[in-house]
Amino acid sequence: MQIPVIRNVLEANEKTAGQVRARLKRHGILTLNMISSPGTGKTSLLERTLRDLAGEFRMAVIEGDLQTTNDAQRVAATGAQAVQINTDGGCHLDSNMILSSLDSLNLEGMDILFIENVGNLVCPVEFDCGEDAKVALLSVAEGDDKPEKYPLLFNLAKVMVLNKIDLMPHVDFDLARARAFATKLNKDLEIFELSCRSGEGLFGWYDWLRKARMEKKPHDAQRA
Amino acid sequence: MSLAQSLLCMAEEEMSRRNCARLLMARVEYGALSGVVPEALQFCFDAMIQGTPHEGARLELACLPLRLRCPFCGRVFGGQDKDALHLPCPGCGELFGHIVEQGKELILSRLEVL
Repeated sequence: MQIPVIRNVLEANEKTAGQVRARLKRHGILTLNMISSPGTGKTSLLERTLRDLAGEFRMAVIEGDLQTTNDAQRVAATGAQAVQINTDGGCHLDSNMILSSLDSLNLEGMDILFIENVGNLVCPVEFDCGEDAKVALLSVAEGDDKPEKYPLLFNLAKVMVLNKIDLMPHVDFDLARARAFATKLNKDLEIFELSCRSGEGLFGWYDWLRKARMEKKPHDAQRA
Repeated sequence: MSLAQSLLCMAEEEMSRRNCARLLMARVEYGALSGVVPEALQFCFDAMIQGTPHEGARLELACLPLRLRCPFCGRVFGGQDKDALHLPCPGCGELFGHIVEQGKELILSRLEVL
């Protein structure tokens, strides 16, 4: 027997992502899905952000990792709430994992939730985790053609963070080329060039976070 | 692996609705931008049906080419692979902001069952 179906293979994931999104919306929490290759500096960016903005926002991190709890420990050391998801070799987080880890977090009064995805530029892009925006990270120690090689991420992301710019004198990374490829894919992409190590350029990223948080929770921001 | 899992899950749902027990073929259409690696999906699908009533079922994979629309002149154009994303609009030469009308999908489109 032939059955014509036409169903989105990711529909189960998208349905759960909708539940995550609705729950986070009730609390007015800005949720960002951080995606990059391994070693770009997702955890370093979060460590800096959690420390530098600790006085302004209540923040938490859902930490996706293949095996260890190293990253969650680094994040927890800043005093922020952190939940660890070990994917046991799985290459991405999905909305079900996020939904169950929400139960381990105190959402009351939370301003920003970061989802640190597994280091990978392909699969995490396909699985909606219920976030408000995807943040694509890239570092100048990688190839400047990453946006060209992994177009879906840069097409869907709202923000691109270019990390490790303090290394520019030592690498052949062409900033203009990376920017050009990325904006070709997504002309509204906001790009921040920064270094988590030296602190250079972080203010732009922080300003974007403030703006995005305000858009998510307008009445609160007015009160402050 | 998660894709193969959702795929089988959906196939089983459709089958139980029709009182069918055995899958013979599933057809999946994926966009050129979707990130699906056909060999990998095939491998995982085969691994998951081993030792089940569906063992030996075929997976038909078809790639949907990119269809882009130029935001400036409205021209619709395309290409078989993702490189088309980087080409200027054939109508007006605009390089930026082409809207992806087709290319991100991942659809289970047909099942053959017993």
